Amino acid sequence: MPVSKKTIVGLGSAVLMTSLTYGIGAAQAQEGQLRGNVRVVIGSTSTGGDTYQNSSIVVDQLSEKLDINMKVDAVGASSAFRTLDRDARGNTLMIFHDQAYLGHLYGVEGYADIFEKYTIGPTVAINPGNAYLVPMDSPYETLDDIIAAVGEGETVRVAIQPGGVSEIGFSALKNAIAIEHPGQEDNLVAVNTGSQSDKNQLLFDDQVDLINGSVQANEQYTRLPEEDQKAMRFVWLTARQETIQQAPEEGLGQTTREQLLQHVEPNVHVTMGDDETFTFDKEFFFLYNKDMDPGIVEQIDEALAEIFEEGEIQEAQKSAFFIPNFRPSGEASEYLEEKRSRYAEIIENIQ
Amino acid sequence: MEILSLLDVTFFLLTALGALVGIVFGAIPGMTATMAVAVCLPLTYALGLNHGLALLLGLYVGGISGGMVPAVLLNIPGTPSSITTTFDGYPMARRGEGERALKISVVASLVGGLISAAVLFLFAPLLADFSIKFSYIEKFLIILLALTVIASLSNNMLVGIFSGVIGIWLSLIGDYSISDGGNGKTRLMFDFMEPYLFEGFSLLPVLIGIFGISTILLEAEKGVKSDLTDERVKIGKGAGATFSLALFKGRLTNLVRSSFIGTFVGMLPGVGGSAASVLAYTQEKNLARDSSQMGKGAPQGLIASESANNALTGGALIPLLSLGIPGDSTTAVLIGAFTLQGIQVGPLFIPENAETWYVMMAALIFANFVMFFLMFYAIKYIAKVVMVPKHILFPIIVMMCVVGAYAINYGIMFDVWTLLIFGVLGYLIQKVGLEVAPLIIGFILGSQAEVYFVKSLESAGTLTIFFTKSPIAVVLWLLILASVVFSITMSLKNRAKHRQELLG
Repeated sequence: MPVSKKTIVGLGSAVLMTSLTYGIGAAQAQEGQLRGNVRVVIGSTSTGGDTYQNSSIVVDQLSEKLDINMKVDAVGASSAFRTLDRDARGNTLMIFHDQAYLGHLYGVEGYADIFEKYTIGPTVAINPGNAYLVPMDSPYETLDDIIAAVGEGETVRVAIQPGGVSEIGFSALKNAIAIEHPGQEDNLVAVNTGSQSDKNQLLFDDQVDLINGSVQANEQYTRLPEEDQKAMRFVWLTARQETIQQAPEEGLGQTTREQLLQHVEPNVHVTMGDDETFTFDKEFFFLYNKDMDPGIVEQIDEALAEIFEEGEIQEAQKSAFFIPNFRPSGEASEYLEEKRSRYAEIIENIQ
Repeated sequence: MEILSLLDVTFFLLTALGALVGIVFGAIPGMTATMAVAVCLPLTYALGLNHGLALLLGLYVGGISGGMVPAVLLNIPGTPSSITTTFDGYPMARRGEGERALKISVVASLVGGLISAAVLFLFAPLLADFSIKFSYIEKFLIILLALTVIASLSNNMLVGIFSGVIGIWLSLIGDYSISDGGNGKTRLMFDFMEPYLFEGFSLLPVLIGIFGISTILLEAEKGVKSDLTDERVKIGKGAGATFSLALFKGRLTNLVRSSFIGTFVGMLPGVGGSAASVLAYTQEKNLARDSSQMGKGAPQGLIASESANNALTGGALIPLLSLGIPGDSTTAVLIGAFTLQGIQVGPLFIPENAETWYVMMAALIFANFVMFFLMFYAIKYIAKVVMVPKHILFPIIVMMCVVGAYAINYGIMFDVWTLLIFGVLGYLIQKVGLEVAPLIIGFILGSQAEVYFVKSLESAGTLTIFFTKSPIAVVLWLLILASVVFSITMSLKNRAKHRQELLG
């Protein structure tokens, strides 16, 4: 086969991008408009994770719509915040998820109050995949079994990454145990660790009984034969039922939406008191430097509104197991602030 | 066969281009394979999965190999995993055997790459199951084993160990990262340093500074005039400077052993690439019949280092493709290519994506051969770098180091200061008689050792777990013990020999 045109374009852009990496920031933003090269930093260092994947989909569309160069850089939370702090021109934007304010609620170093320090941009998507899993041969069939066992004084160890999205489900579970079995909540023990592989490893080693994971990262493990040391089962997806209902019917991998729905409320009930059930949707949104021109905020809002109107982005998001969820900047800010205060309560309760 | 239709001309061109660009990235101090893959990752959108992977795997193999060039010629490890290549490569280059050293390294790289590819192809799922038997405890012991090289690497054991401890201490500066499950609090610094040192010193600027900049400072101190006539003439004309495959005679065990060590370390997620070459180097030092020349320009050191660091490539792909867990920092970026295409990597990846799997294997093997031919025949010209007069060469190197340091974390000025700080520190260290190699190995491995040590204690609650965890742990302890005992006897023997020579 001859070398295709697409390839040539691809190669050309390889060279271009290599040069771009080292030539950032020459262009200045004109009044109220994005200009030149725009770098979108994300709060994760992983290019294999959901933040990168989701940001790539959004930034790809946005850069096409606005006809400017935009590139996603997986620099990690503290670097991303610091980079954003330095650039009020609009050449640096940030995309992150609920971790941005949860980190602050948990008192993690390097996290400030984002509602004070930054301008909240639009929300773009939900990852409905935040999950908790047990080994395939675990004695606990459901989350209720776990709550009951802890209530009876059994110690259950949970692998989480402290200080954020991974911990919030654990906090809610602990809160629920405190409500249903007062005084027993300390039998639910967090084992702090890092990456998903570390959490999986702890489960393989029988060092923990429950791990935080995700549908995306763990689905294949749930399809292994039971005798495999690596086999796992979902017991809980923290997303709201209506969020999962919006996922494509075929679900992810070979796990259908129907199967996933078995692990969300109301089938799984984590009480917050007063008949309320805890749910958590991991949402992605933009963050801007506070001093950035409001014209740019508007420009991105409008561009995204048009993109979501056209409908192509929803397809891309859904096929990657994201739930489209566009809210313009102002609305998003209000919504997220309200969301934060809900979770602040849970965290306060268990401290 | 279906698969053959996927392997078109574009596929091979992209792999070759990847290898070439990778070599260039690897050869420029401060730019790494990881960076090359990261920069080109978004292209996989336009290229499609198979072509995208061809490009990325080419970059990966090229990037890891390219690191040997500055390591040998300039004493600057182009990538962290080529650090042990400097130990013997640079002394050889100084003797005028740069070309020979590079050719040995290239052949070793090819063998390492191919052995690991074969292991990946034949045993990936099996080995993945083995790799998950390594918990925090066993990983800590592996790092500890690699750290024992400090003892055998030092000229004076006490000074060497002291330098190593300083290296470990330096690596602990910064926060105990939340992403490692720590508390995110900083230590070993004053408050005003926090904005700069929150995540500690970055590895690559430290490496380039302590090797590259300090070497330049030492050379500058000697003055330029004297060696204009001196070393330039020697290039390519030194005794035994010619390369032949006979050099590998009697070194096959070393070559194969190091390749397997590289593959094995690559396979363990979280145990970094530099540990592979350090471990292979240690083992050669311990097991070779005569290792007295290692560190002074022995081909066997190059063979160990380069075959191990290229064997990493296949090794690191094992957990990626059979567990969905990247084995090193480059494969951690590579996983993005799958994510962007919406393909899950996990324990069922290979059975469910057989086509992609074969395409990757083809790309990996082809990339190794391209790397070999590109480097082997270009070396003659590359090696001439050292013939550039030093008053021209050094400023260019310094400039490249600065650009590389600035770029490594995508534009952090403090990394350039790190380069300078460690350049001066490296110079001073050698002036006061401390040893650089142990220090830097301590620095590279220290923070990992800490995390695994603390995590082991956190999950087990007792120190005895390190001895009782598993048969693997016991074997590792025996290896550590053997390594230490060996270094001590070697050192005593050398001392006795030295004394006898003095008397005789």
